[in-house]
Amino acid sequence: MKADYIRKLKDQLEEFEASRADIDDIINDYEQLYDDALSTGKTDDEVYTFLGDPNGVAYDLIDTLKIKHHKDIRNKVIALTPFISLIIFMILGFAYDLWHPGWLVFLLIPVSAIIMSTDRKSGIIGLTPFISVLVFLFLGFQYNLWNPTWLIFLLIPITAIILNTSFKDMFVSLSPFVALITFIILGTYFDLWNPGWLVFLIIPMLGILQKRNKIQMLILELTFIIAIAFYLYMGYVQNNWAIGGLGFILPVATAILFGDVTFTWNMPKGAERKKVIILLLTILLSIIVFLVLGIVLNGWVYAWQIFLLIPVVSIIAFDKFRFTSISPFVAIILFFSIGYFFDSFYISWLAFLIIPMAGILENA
Amino acid sequence: MCILSLIDKRDMYGFEVIEKLASDIDVNENTVYPILRRLTGQGLFETYIEQTNIGAPRKYYQITKFGKEKLEEYESEWKTFLTGVFRLLGGNNNES
Repeated sequence: MKADYIRKLKDQLEEFEASRADIDDIINDYEQLYDDALSTGKTDDEVYTFLGDPNGVAYDLIDTLKIKHHKDIRNKVIALTPFISLIIFMILGFAYDLWHPGWLVFLLIPVSAIIMSTDRKSGIIGLTPFISVLVFLFLGFQYNLWNPTWLIFLLIPITAIILNTSFKDMFVSLSPFVALITFIILGTYFDLWNPGWLVFLIIPMLGILQKRNKIQMLILELTFIIAIAFYLYMGYVQNNWAIGGLGFILPVATAILFGDVTFTWNMPKGAERKKVIILLLTILLSIIVFLVLGIVLNGWVYAWQIFLLIPVVSIIAFDKFRFTSISPFVAIILFFSIGYFFDSFYISWLAFLIIPMAGILENA
Repeated sequence: MCILSLIDKRDMYGFEVIEKLASDIDVNENTVYPILRRLTGQGLFETYIEQTNIGAPRKYYQITKFGKEKLEEYESEWKTFLTGVFRLLGGNNNES
């Protein structure tokens, strides 16, 4: 408990980029206070209340901290990037007549803001939208591969999961994305929409591997394999996919029997409930709009943008609202929509400037 | 002012200050350390480490000359304020 308390306090102070001397001093003091409080017979919970929540303590101490110097250097780099970009752009334009694609150097502005104003992990996650957009545009314009290249946008949640999830949970968390990518590739290139959808079964099958009761785990996995084999047999040999689908009653019934599938609705109450409903509706709406735009209007090229609504709504509903957090998504939508619909990519890159602008305005 | 007054009487370590203060007045214990640190930063206290028989060495807070001057100033302001309050309430005080 003491180690946990001290670690939380240290993490928060490091996040404030306090100087090493300040962090060491405060941590030493709190270790001492914790030991002194324990020696009076207080329990760990009582000591926690006595000393206060470590995050709150760090906030109370913020005016006594000396902030590391490199933060100033970072801010200087961010502030200088627009001028450096402009100089490079002018040189490329006037000296080599490379106005296009020389404008790409302006992407250095949001990229430097993301790299410099966040830690390494957040920086990598923050860069994935740019990498995705560039790959998407390149493959789209060069090879007209808008579909299935839009799948590259899954890089954003995949990177976030890899960097934020423990190794043990990573496979289960990544399985929906792996399944979706496999499904789209099987469908697009091999016209195997059916039975390609079976790949989605890796999601429950991987989840089942984490069951503590190993016998139940094996039985459940077996029922899935039997159901899949039955489905494929009925479809390919008997040409009756519908009857084959009935085979999936077996794993579902087994899961109900083992108590893995229950029909209770553990919806949070009050404000949380409202937020969850809004998010679920957003996901549902995004999928419907994406499919309608794609199938009815053949708008696969731009329909993917609707999925950016999900992280935006999630940030607004569950986090403290900061425009800085949603600005990368808004910038991508503006960049792509202005560029694609008005054939103005040479100017739409300006949308990315809202990212550093939002950062500067909100952090000022 | 209360913290200054406590440490003016004798040098104290952090936990001691918090306990003493919390036993005499209704104060949230976890607000005391930030104040101690702030006052030390302002030069009202200085600190030194002293070895103990049990556990790690302790950091003690000692009032500085500047701290003593500030304490006198605060006490004088506080007494003036209290005199005014007593006068308003119509009660007795030492000066009436």
